[in-house]
Amino acid sequence: MADTSAVDVHPPYLYPDYKSTRLRAPAQPLVRVAPSPLEAAGPAFPKHFVKNSEADLTTWGKSAPLGEKMVLVGRVLDEGGRPVRRSLVEVWQANASGKYPHPVDDHEAPLDPNFLGKGQLLTDDEGRYRVVTVKPGAYPWQNHAFGWRPAHIHFSLFGNAYAQRLITQMFFPGDPLLAIDPIFNSVPEAGRKLLIADLDLEHGVEGVALGYRFDMVLRGARATPMGV
Amino acid sequence: MPKLTPSQTVGPFFARELIWPDGGTVLFPGHGERITLTGRVFDGTGAPIFDALFETWQADAAGKVSSGGEGARPYGYGRVSTNTEGAYAIETVMPGAFTGPGGETYAPQISVSIFARGLLKALQTRVFLAPLDEIKGDPLARAIGDPARLRTLIATRDPGNPRVYRWDVRLRGAGEAVFIEF
Repeated sequence: MADTSAVDVHPPYLYPDYKSTRLRAPAQPLVRVAPSPLEAAGPAFPKHFVKNSEADLTTWGKSAPLGEKMVLVGRVLDEGGRPVRRSLVEVWQANASGKYPHPVDDHEAPLDPNFLGKGQLLTDDEGRYRVVTVKPGAYPWQNHAFGWRPAHIHFSLFGNAYAQRLITQMFFPGDPLLAIDPIFNSVPEAGRKLLIADLDLEHGVEGVALGYRFDMVLRGARATPMGV
Repeated sequence: MPKLTPSQTVGPFFARELIWPDGGTVLFPGHGERITLTGRVFDGTGAPIFDALFETWQADAAGKVSSGGEGARPYGYGRVSTNTEGAYAIETVMPGAFTGPGGETYAPQISVSIFARGLLKALQTRVFLAPLDEIKGDPLARAIGDPARLRTLIATRDPGNPRVYRWDVRLRGAGEAVFIEF
């Protein structure tokens, strides 16, 4: 049963509209195995690995970054609905102009000296997280003519088992660029809405920051082909 | 039941955010035989992949999973980016064999995840640190069967330096590595 849901929501490796997949997607079928005892466990990040301030991307510089300030809240659950507790969540994103502080980012947009676009935290005992940031900008990319990536925030999740490891992207509701984004549309249609945050004003800060909610669900830690 | 969150690519811009200066040195609570796992990652045309995130997870020298993390980082976990030549290097200890719930023996191995631009999902596999004739009882080796395919997952000792294990990874096409799903 875990197998079926995984097949339903995840994109294929080869998705020709996203050109980079053509040379990097494996051509052979994957070999299905049960997670080893090693893979049913996972790296445990010590509490001191993260600082509380690292969940607020707007306090990294000397003053506030440019852009639309936002609070992003959510929960990390497993597919049984159980909270994924004390697990590392890493986020990274472009600045409000759609620019990453990377030498290979050739988008002609300004860097923001007050924004690095990197954060991390451990989920709490209910699997909850809260990130303060600014809304990232869209940016052009070379995949196709007039291609622009919709605004997105990258998430890296460890779960509580190596077999749960997931990297994904969160998008914003109502973004017209979603319809033309091959990375977003590589996900089977039924799964796409699962990558879009909900506006959640009450979790924002009155008069200061918009609120959004984005929950994430990881596969079970010990599911096997036999469903054991 | 909640639906799984779909996977998306790590993209080209992650090095400043996800890479730690010492992420290629794997920590353990105890000691062991120090080894280096190193090699290059190639695409379907044989070109080096210079922007892959390469992660490793392994047991300690006694084959135990050290899931704690009293040190600066979690034990047993390595994380690097490939360089312009597609090369990676993980400084670690030789993992011991371990036993599964059904009594099956897992040969000395390291679990590997590769993320990159153009990979909409992680590529996961296990690299073996023992020769072909010593891994035949391993659950993955048995699932693969074909020795030619199994060899894509065997790291070979550098004849000039026995502490160095070399493992090149081809993501697609001739010599394509075996990748797994759980």
